[in-house]
Amino acid sequence: MADKEATVYIVDMGKSMGERRNGREVTDLEWAMQYIWDRITTTVSTGRKTAMLGVIGLKTDGTSNELQDDPHFSNISVLSEIQQFLMSDLRQLGEQIKPSNTDKGDAISGLIMAIQMIITHCKKLKWKRKIVLITNGLGQMSSENLDDIVSKIKEDNIELVILGPDFDDPEYGTKEEDKDPRKAESEALLRTVSEQCDGVFGTLEQAVSEMVIPRVKAVRPIASFKGFLQLGNPEDYDTAVRIPVERYPRTSVAKPPSASQFVLHSDLAAGQEGPESATAIPETQPEEGRALTSVRNLRTYQVNDESAPGGKVEIEREDLAKGYEYGRTAVHISETDENITTLETQAALELVGFIQSGQYDRYMHLSNTHIVVAQRANDKASLALSSFIHALFELESYAVARLVTKENKPPLLVLLAPSIEAEYECLLEVQLPFAEDVRTYRFPPLDKVNTVSGKVVTQHRNLPDDDLMDAMDKYVDCMELVDQDEDGDLVDTPFPIEDSFSPVLHRVNAAIRSRAIHPNDPIPPPADILTQFSQQPKHLLDKADRHLKKLIDVADVKKVPPKTKGRKRTREPEKPLSGLDVDALLNQEKRVKISPHNAIPEFKQTLAHAETIETTKDAVKQMRSIIEDQIRHSLGDANYDRVTEGLGVVREELISYEEPSLYNEFIKELKEKLLKENLGGDRRELWWLIRRSKLGLIDQRQSELSDVTEEEAKAFMSAQ
Amino acid sequence: MADDNYPREDDIGDEEEELDETSYKSIRDAVLFAIEVSDSMLQPRPSADPRKPSQESPATAALKCAYHLMQQRIISNPRDMIGVLLYGTKLSKFYDEDEKSRGDLSYPNCYLLTDLDIPSAHEVLDLRSLVEDEDKAQDVLVPSEEPVSMANLLFCANQIFTSKAPNFSSRRLFIVTDNDNPHGSNKSLRSAATVRAKDLYDLGVIIELFPISQIEHEFDTSKFYDDIIYKASPIDPDAPAYLNPDSKTTDAQDGISLLNGLLSSINSKSVPRRAHFSNMSLELGPNMKISVSGYLLFKRQEPARSCFVWLGGEQPQIAKGVTTQIADDTARTIEKWEIRKAYKFGGDQVSFTPEEQKGLKDFGEPVIRIIGFKPLSALPFWANVKHSTFIYPSEEDYVGSTRVFSALYQKLLRDKKVALVWYIARKAAGPVLGAMIAGEEKVDENGIQKFPPGLWITPLPFADDVRQNPDAPLQVAPEPLIDQMRTIIQQLQLPKGIYEPQKYPNPSLQWHYRILQALALDEDLPEKPEDRTLPKYRQIHKRAGDYVLSWAEELDKQYEMISASSGPKSTLAKRPAKDKDAADKAGPPSKKIKAEANSGDLQEEVQKHYQKGTLSKLTVAVLKDYLTTQGRSAAGKKADLVERVEELLETK
Repeated sequence: MADKEATVYIVDMGKSMGERRNGREVTDLEWAMQYIWDRITTTVSTGRKTAMLGVIGLKTDGTSNELQDDPHFSNISVLSEIQQFLMSDLRQLGEQIKPSNTDKGDAISGLIMAIQMIITHCKKLKWKRKIVLITNGLGQMSSENLDDIVSKIKEDNIELVILGPDFDDPEYGTKEEDKDPRKAESEALLRTVSEQCDGVFGTLEQAVSEMVIPRVKAVRPIASFKGFLQLGNPEDYDTAVRIPVERYPRTSVAKPPSASQFVLHSDLAAGQEGPESATAIPETQPEEGRALTSVRNLRTYQVNDESAPGGKVEIEREDLAKGYEYGRTAVHISETDENITTLETQAALELVGFIQSGQYDRYMHLSNTHIVVAQRANDKASLALSSFIHALFELESYAVARLVTKENKPPLLVLLAPSIEAEYECLLEVQLPFAEDVRTYRFPPLDKVNTVSGKVVTQHRNLPDDDLMDAMDKYVDCMELVDQDEDGDLVDTPFPIEDSFSPVLHRVNAAIRSRAIHPNDPIPPPADILTQFSQQPKHLLDKADRHLKKLIDVADVKKVPPKTKGRKRTREPEKPLSGLDVDALLNQEKRVKISPHNAIPEFKQTLAHAETIETTKDAVKQMRSIIEDQIRHSLGDANYDRVTEGLGVVREELISYEEPSLYNEFIKELKEKLLKENLGGDRRELWWLIRRSKLGLIDQRQSELSDVTEEEAKAFMSAQ
Repeated sequence: MADDNYPREDDIGDEEEELDETSYKSIRDAVLFAIEVSDSMLQPRPSADPRKPSQESPATAALKCAYHLMQQRIISNPRDMIGVLLYGTKLSKFYDEDEKSRGDLSYPNCYLLTDLDIPSAHEVLDLRSLVEDEDKAQDVLVPSEEPVSMANLLFCANQIFTSKAPNFSSRRLFIVTDNDNPHGSNKSLRSAATVRAKDLYDLGVIIELFPISQIEHEFDTSKFYDDIIYKASPIDPDAPAYLNPDSKTTDAQDGISLLNGLLSSINSKSVPRRAHFSNMSLELGPNMKISVSGYLLFKRQEPARSCFVWLGGEQPQIAKGVTTQIADDTARTIEKWEIRKAYKFGGDQVSFTPEEQKGLKDFGEPVIRIIGFKPLSALPFWANVKHSTFIYPSEEDYVGSTRVFSALYQKLLRDKKVALVWYIARKAAGPVLGAMIAGEEKVDENGIQKFPPGLWITPLPFADDVRQNPDAPLQVAPEPLIDQMRTIIQQLQLPKGIYEPQKYPNPSLQWHYRILQALALDEDLPEKPEDRTLPKYRQIHKRAGDYVLSWAEELDKQYEMISASSGPKSTLAKRPAKDKDAADKAGPPSKKIKAEANSGDLQEEVQKHYQKGTLSKLTVAVLKDYLTTQGRSAAGKKADLVERVEELLETK
């Protein structure tokens, strides 16, 4: 559980905050609010009930606080008491924040007010207390009782942050020329306060500029396994050894928040007709938020029953038992046997054997990683594990171990590697693949070529020659990622992990926050820092330019024009390994009519031999009637896969023989017949399948000779 | 509407994968074995190894392979189809046709033993019994006196594929035979066969030949089979052969190696079922692009999820779930286009239009862009979040890709470098940073490739994905203790000092399907799982036992020294330092100070209470500690804990 938090923001809303200064496009107040909104929405996005905040307006036109009778506290308004902030609070605050018509109001009094609010709210309980004050310092401040304030802040352990536009900050390098003497005085005063209570005092520019650096959420380490690192079996052998250890995640992918599904309230949705209007929903976001209702999934179950109409009957969930598929056999498992297929295991991390680290291929890592450390506060275990870690390290070995994190959990095989740092030793752990997790796809070698005719050659157009090898060598060496240190020397840098941020995660979070406060604004583009590693560093490219040009030159890579992909007309007919001319044999056989039993091969062969367009047309006609017959005689969906295959073949062949119109004509008429139920009744499911298989009109993108535009093709598919 | 028959994305993490644009096919594989039955195929070949007597004939070896593949596919690709067709048999069977049916047989001497389909438990059983039960084999495995027509066999296979596996992305006919010249010089039979083979080729069925040499005769593919087998690019003899070009002839004279050879060559025919992505551009630098395809060669295989079974019919049947979405307010059915995505924020929803929503994840076109290079040694062991993707060049978009890729691969391999890449696997997949590592080709003892040569992309964690290490006070082991441990480790090297995944089947996955198979076939449940991940305890004891004892002694010595020097402040020093039980040499759990009893004492105490029958007098904390030290679950109420401890001690 994260600690309870209470933060009070004090915002200077004085008249002077409404001005634009020093060439900025935004007013000081808007500028300050960028920071404040960022902080507040970050808190809101956690969704935590115990992360609370309050807001005080300084130099407001009116006065609204519990000490309002005291003139010291005039022009100070509590805009929000300390509470969990929700969307409605954000909206309300958004409306309240605007420059006032006065510059009266004492920032120090605001501070006192904030302290008071925190004391009232948190009492003496355990809270993380914080006050953030942003002011331009252009107002009267009384320095009375400063010591009391400081001691109170320290006593209650309140973190204090004071920021202001154009505050001087030598460390950051801001210095305002011709500063208003009143402001200089206020700055000095506030700085003193801040320093006395170990707070932060800074210039707003720095705070805003640091907002773009994504905040990484720290997760408290939680052990994923506590047990023993074991060598041997203590049940049977007295030479077995057990070291008490704990296992913690080292990496774990942080996922962006997931969106849930909503629809408009049914009464609102009634006005809409079709998909087109769905995008035309008025962009009034805040209201719409409340106009949405969530989506529920309703699951029903069907089984085949030949006697039922449609061949299927619906079954109630209660009448179903649990089971598994074994091949196409349903295996039912009764409730009492629920865990029958679970392998019985006992929790442990057991050593299986050791391997040479140099022989291990890094790409076998299958999972995120964990660390294994000795049980806490157990010096003996720590000593024992340390000897293991050091021995592995000295032998350049890794350990293979069998891990069961909890009783009856499936065993995993993991690899354990030693990690020794100055003040920290642990084992690093990653999961290894089992036999079933490896797919043995084979690929030809990359340094030689085995030709179809059985020769092995080392000079081939698919192999680099010496020039290419040399150019690659130079280019790769030149593009080595190194940084320059202060002295200008090149230094090896680690992989950019600590300063690379998940682009999607932070983009989504930023978009949600932006939309929450500015519902009608477009989403801002992703912060530059998120895409910093999307391009080669310029200084490297400059250095490697010569080598890159050389590489491009000798590599001689040519883009394939899209048209020539899969064009067939001019291609030689395929021959078997022996090179026998099967076509000659086929010609002897004279297949005049396409047999429905051997339709696809015969269709392809007819097209390959077609000398006139008439032959092609006739072949397509024959395929049409075969396919239509298949549909007409299909019991339910029995023939649908054959139909899609037939259509797919006809479509592909006609694209490569550059006769798209023949197919387009065919599919148009077929669609009509299907929807008019001319082919043996309701065939909508088949049409849906055709749509999903993307077997619609051949458009111009797919074949230059088509007279169908992409839009037309799309409309053809979507129209009911 | 839910339909399971169509491509499902392999990768659960990447749910948003769309269908391959060009593919109307269902991404499934159908394999039909065509096994010749002849006198020589049925001739047993005795085992050369007298300790493993076996009477394996080529035909039974082939059937065993089919059986093996069937079992394997049920687990790995539960939607794939397998069938077995015997040819050259005396009997004929094709669906409802057999000798007894009227009229002529369509496919004489072809016996469809197992129809091409997703295997059922009974088909698995039938196949096994044919292999194991000689009586049964004697009925079916009888060669015909007439020679079978290959044309007829090929058309028979054609019909099976056409009707049973339409629209599959991969359809293969595995011919297992020792007859390299079935039709001799009979020209018309030969040409009929070549025409039927071309039909299969045009249908998209690939013929894979598994030739077996006869005892005295080397199989010669040029006599007949070169006329019926096609390869990827027959026009260009210099084109690289993508999959093993030559069918490796199994010419073992003894049964066991025959079986193993056949198994290994069948395993070598796994095809890349589906590229994870194809023809993606790999950018080496500005204006320098080549195209590559990506494959998932490592992927955790999980058991299929449980489903609902309807027991009301004659046979148990899987109920198919259909999901309809309804609005929460009025329960009306919703069309897909109505759905909007919104994020929960501050107790309300923040919504985006579908275009905006899409745009949030859009960081440009799919690409692998090399940002720069680093030494492989700079890549930390822990910097990993998931499996790697294998990439291999394709000439489809850029001619010359292969040679450039090869140059890059050779350079990275030689200089032990990796490339840092900006990697967007699919449109809207979200970019990751990856390390691109060169992987050398690995072959097994038969020369068959185990791992292909190519590059691997390993996604790296972002700063957001890195967890902080918990505090752990350190006791660095002194040299003598490390020395002792080193000896132990040296004793326990795995063979060749490498990890071979093929040697370790997933025990819980295998057990799951083993039980299902037994249940489906109404067999007795197996008692003990075969678990090859269990350490070889006896070996460990024999090889390293003495060294462990001496290490443990050293540990005690060293520990006494540090506890003495760390002064009386440490609560640990108060603990009795002598352990009676070697198994707990490394010390007891004592996170909580109150549970300071060392685990030797803990065991004794629990044992004592157990014997007196007063286990329930122990506190929950003690019971839990005890169970944890035994590797058992410590969850549940006190009664559960007591019961579990009793159970545990009863078996001792």
